[in-house]
Amino acid sequence: MSEAIGYIQGTDIKRVSVDPVTLQVLGGAFKMIAQEMGIVLYRMSYSSIIRESEDLGAGICDAKGRQICESENSPMHAGSVGGYIQGILQKLEGNIHDGDVIIHNHPYYGASHTPDVQINIPIFYEGALIGYSAINAHLVDVGNAGAGVAIDARDIYAEARIYNALKLYERGKLNEQLWDMILDNVRTPSMNANDINALIAAAEHGKKRFLELIEKFGLETVFSASEEWMDYSERMLRREIAKVPDGVYHAESYLDDDGVNLGKPLRVSTTITIHGDSLTVDLTGSSDEVMTAFNVPFEGSTRPSINTAIHDLFLDDALHSEYIPQNEGLERPVHIIAPKGSIFNPNFPRASSARFNQVNRMADCIVRALAPVMPERVSAGSSANIHYIVYSGFNEEVGEYWVYGEVTEGSYGGRYGKDGIDTIDCLIANTRNVPIEETEWHLPLRVERYEIAPVEAAKGKWRGGIGVVRQTRFLENGIVGCEGDRHFNSPPGLFGGGDGQPASLVKNPGTDQEEAMPSKVSADYFKAGDVVQVISPSSGGYGNPLERDPQLVLHDVLDDFCYLENAEADYGVVIDPVTKLVDVEATARVRAARIQEFAS
Amino acid sequence: MKRIGVDVGGTFTDLIYVDGDTFAVYKTSTTPHDPSEGVMEGINQLCSIVGAEREQIDEVFHGTTIATNMVLERKGARVGLLTTEGFRDLLHIARHKRPYNFSIMQDIPWQSNPVVLRRDRHVVKERVTAPNGEVLTPLDKEAARQAVRKMRADGVEAIAVCFLFSFLNPTHEEEVLDIIKEEFPEAYVSLRSVVSPQFREYESFTTTSLNSYVGPKTASYIENLEKMLKNSGYSSATLHLMQSGGGVATGKAAAAKPVHLLMSGPAAGVQGAIWASKLTDHSHIISLDIGGTSADIAVIPNLKPGMRHLLDTQVGGYSAMVPMIDIATIGAGGGSVAYMDDGGFFRVGPRSAGAVPGPACYNRGGMEPTVTDANIVLGRLGTELLGGRMTIRPDLSRQVIEDKLAVRLGQSVEESSLGIIEIMNTNMIQAIEKESIRRGLDPRDFALFACGGAGALHACSVARELGIRQVIVPASPGALCAVGLVATDLLYDFSKTEMQLSTKPDIARLAKDFALLEQEAKTRLQEDKVKEEQMSLQRIAECRYLGQGYELRVPVEQGEITEQTFQAITTVFHRTHLEFFGKDYQDTPVEIVNIRVEGIGEMPKLEAATIPAGSEDPSEAYKYSRDIIFKLDGKIDTYSSKVYDRSKLKAGHQIQGPAIIDQMDTTLLVEPNCVATVNPYGIILITIQ
Repeated sequence: MSEAIGYIQGTDIKRVSVDPVTLQVLGGAFKMIAQEMGIVLYRMSYSSIIRESEDLGAGICDAKGRQICESENSPMHAGSVGGYIQGILQKLEGNIHDGDVIIHNHPYYGASHTPDVQINIPIFYEGALIGYSAINAHLVDVGNAGAGVAIDARDIYAEARIYNALKLYERGKLNEQLWDMILDNVRTPSMNANDINALIAAAEHGKKRFLELIEKFGLETVFSASEEWMDYSERMLRREIAKVPDGVYHAESYLDDDGVNLGKPLRVSTTITIHGDSLTVDLTGSSDEVMTAFNVPFEGSTRPSINTAIHDLFLDDALHSEYIPQNEGLERPVHIIAPKGSIFNPNFPRASSARFNQVNRMADCIVRALAPVMPERVSAGSSANIHYIVYSGFNEEVGEYWVYGEVTEGSYGGRYGKDGIDTIDCLIANTRNVPIEETEWHLPLRVERYEIAPVEAAKGKWRGGIGVVRQTRFLENGIVGCEGDRHFNSPPGLFGGGDGQPASLVKNPGTDQEEAMPSKVSADYFKAGDVVQVISPSSGGYGNPLERDPQLVLHDVLDDFCYLENAEADYGVVIDPVTKLVDVEATARVRAARIQEFAS
Repeated sequence: MKRIGVDVGGTFTDLIYVDGDTFAVYKTSTTPHDPSEGVMEGINQLCSIVGAEREQIDEVFHGTTIATNMVLERKGARVGLLTTEGFRDLLHIARHKRPYNFSIMQDIPWQSNPVVLRRDRHVVKERVTAPNGEVLTPLDKEAARQAVRKMRADGVEAIAVCFLFSFLNPTHEEEVLDIIKEEFPEAYVSLRSVVSPQFREYESFTTTSLNSYVGPKTASYIENLEKMLKNSGYSSATLHLMQSGGGVATGKAAAAKPVHLLMSGPAAGVQGAIWASKLTDHSHIISLDIGGTSADIAVIPNLKPGMRHLLDTQVGGYSAMVPMIDIATIGAGGGSVAYMDDGGFFRVGPRSAGAVPGPACYNRGGMEPTVTDANIVLGRLGTELLGGRMTIRPDLSRQVIEDKLAVRLGQSVEESSLGIIEIMNTNMIQAIEKESIRRGLDPRDFALFACGGAGALHACSVARELGIRQVIVPASPGALCAVGLVATDLLYDFSKTEMQLSTKPDIARLAKDFALLEQEAKTRLQEDKVKEEQMSLQRIAECRYLGQGYELRVPVEQGEITEQTFQAITTVFHRTHLEFFGKDYQDTPVEIVNIRVEGIGEMPKLEAATIPAGSEDPSEAYKYSRDIIFKLDGKIDTYSSKVYDRSKLKAGHQIQGPAIIDQMDTTLLVEPNCVATVNPYGIILITIQ
């Protein structure tokens, strides 16, 4: 055993030096435990928001709620698990026992938002509480004001049922009354029961695996290795931040509205200050908190989203061959300022279940703010929204609601050397869609269109990504709820690239009952035969379109990403409409004239 | 019966000849421009070596990467897709999830290199729906005809026809096929309802499109090879090809569904491991195949390989929803590079030095320490490789480990070398744990089957860490794929999406659907001239709890389908779910999602050759002794270790570790506190104490 070098922060566990090989062994083991927890959950869970969207976060925390490892299923949960534990400790510290299973979703005590319910199992070793195995996932309904959504809720009591550090099991014994209370107050009791059981199974798995690790390597070595890995992640991030010139960088954007006060846009303001090997993200200037559920829980959502944006920019997974774990170390060089009472740090008891659009837009602003100093790492403005559309209805036969939530994908702006990505989840979102053939088989819905949105890509040296169009018909009477945004604001182009296009939500498109819907819908009643159509934003282009390779423009024309009649106007590329070949000479002439025109 | 197995790898083409208990192996260089050249050259050579008449060869079994390479190198045919109006871009949208969570600069392979370009994706009005395949919108035949004409005019080479829910009602796809036959008869065509008749449109459309993508060239390769065999005098030889699911198909069947060939290489290796393990007492094995750049891991309980999960059946970033043996590949091999990363951590792999420049000791300009270099420094690898064809420079190994690692770690070269091995082993141990635990299996119940060039060098440590008691090393660890080829039965997989609930069983429908698939399987086997008594059919149901999203495979008993069949499926499913996830839900209805029938045509069994018997004393195989470095109980020490020649070992010989057993294509390390025993078939069993 190595010599002690002090104590692990906040514990009485000795910190020892760990040899480089054991560090690798334990680093791999940490990663695997969290991954296994995620796998157990999403392969046995019931609701599609868990099993397909993988809207979940899993990991092991120490006794103070510092995260040792996490599953990395969803960027929304980058570093979110520990916040729940810290919230629970405010109520239960000193009153936690072996065999307890604690359920928690309080957004003012660390939860990501009320639908993301976390199951927390304390881990005891030789009689002492050493940590927690914890996993959260989005339950499709938590007794919200509307099925699965609650946009117009004025406070958290109107928004959902609150589970504030409740012991579902106490010392191994199920609290049946609590269990009934939970299930009696949601629209989807069967699904929630099975999903909560799956969460418990996944958390039990994490506990078992972590204890095996401690048995094998010893408490001090395991926790000391965890410290080393936090220091490592911190070092890796600091190295990258230090490469970017010091300075103050700013970007901002506007969200549509709060869902009730239509036409009143809400500002998102990000100011990044780089100072040596650390940085500050200042959200001052962003909108004040609102009187709907369109606020962002600070610990559970604002902070993890900033973690993700920073990870994206400075430690891009595709550019780093080493695995850099998401842990507390990555938070150390990043200082966050989010004024209390702002939309990113609301006061109790403001409702806050609809927070995704705000954090996604914030992430996009962080990316764009740093474009001048990190041009090879950023994209032009991306979709940076989601439409979370909840379809529901009452199943008379079963006597329960059916509730189905769908995350609409977006797109990425053009990138250095690469076109933007089409029809894909963007930034903080990274979910999987549900097969159409699954949806139609099990729900009274029919999908009638699912393809690339019928728009041109934003022009640029590297074009913007295009969003999606998806159209669904109700076969029985039902309800639509939606948490969306970006119906008015287009993703901006970068370095001379063109702007993208906003999103839309339309009821019964192409009929005489066509009706434009707002981006946020609490509960809109649909009749059998009614159709909802969503189009997600297309993203901005990157760089001067006159510099785009004419052959790529030709390919865009052949693939309908650029219309033939616009190739010359947008790109200065002349294409013969009959032979479908680039007229090289004419193109050179047009481009030269255009550049001249621009210069004079 | 005279059989030849030919496995074409990246560098070498391995061949095996079997006739009764006569075995012969041969190795030749792969001819990448046209692999059939190397194949024919090898077959001809092998026949003349063993003195076999060409017209007496009965079977040629072939493992080929031709389809796989086409996908990885993006060199397939130009494919046109005809699909349901409103759904032009399902191949482009995929599951709308990014491969990496934290990355702006990542590549999206299905968009940057689409299997079908958007310009070649055509839509027509038609629509079928669940649950009974009802036609909502009839096919617009005229539009389909125009689209086929357009594809032909545009220079499309192969067509995929993919309509939503066509697995419930293939009529529209069949009507399009008739139109293609009239308008574009020379096109290679894949119908979704034939190639991939299962729900989940993105995966199924991609599978069908990939089939057309690799179809024309694979079909002509197979046709050409059959022709060459006939023209070279192999008049009675039948050609069979290895498929990803672990069985072989005839040339004709493989040419129609080449998408089933995509992962056939590793599948052959697993078949070889299973065959060799049957010559031991072990029925639960984990195979560990360590090569130069990667290691393949397969967990094989009851000597029956698992099938890969739907979310993992990918090739080159594209989903291929076909049965694939569950093999995990990690970036850990002899060429894996050891280095200190930017954050000061000691790392091994996944980057590899490859064959060029290779490990430092190869003296081909490699300037970074590799796992092979560490094995050299520790004395575990000798200084002559490939039977003396390659000379090794241990001084170069020492030098790079010293310069790049030991100095920075403040360690001796030996300690750093041991560190490299330990981290390398850890990567494999954790992958094995993940592979077994995610299937609810405990590695301690298994034997470790070591193969590939470096498997037997690392197996003892890996086994010990996992609590595994015995390591199996086959007679020719390098030729295992070729062995697997000749040891495999014919296997055809037919599937159908069923969607039935255990609580509302439609017995007649399940019976009818199984009968249909069984008929397809039988017809297929009859076309291959398989006799009735060599035929067997295996029914499988892929089930989940109602409301879940992913299925587990459940074997279904033969005989008449009755209420009991449903009960049996439900019972087995509950048990399987419990094994996989530690939990079952007895009160929740079970949904039978897909059903499958595997048609198996039994091939004559491959007999094993025995080796001469000896006493326990292996002195007759002793070559010399050399120093090997081990870390025992935390202490690094040098142990004088005996080196044996495997070709001189006899059945019954026992070797006490530490020792080395040398053979042409691999080195076995018997670690301290381990005993190796040679069995009658020349297989070495190492017991870990």
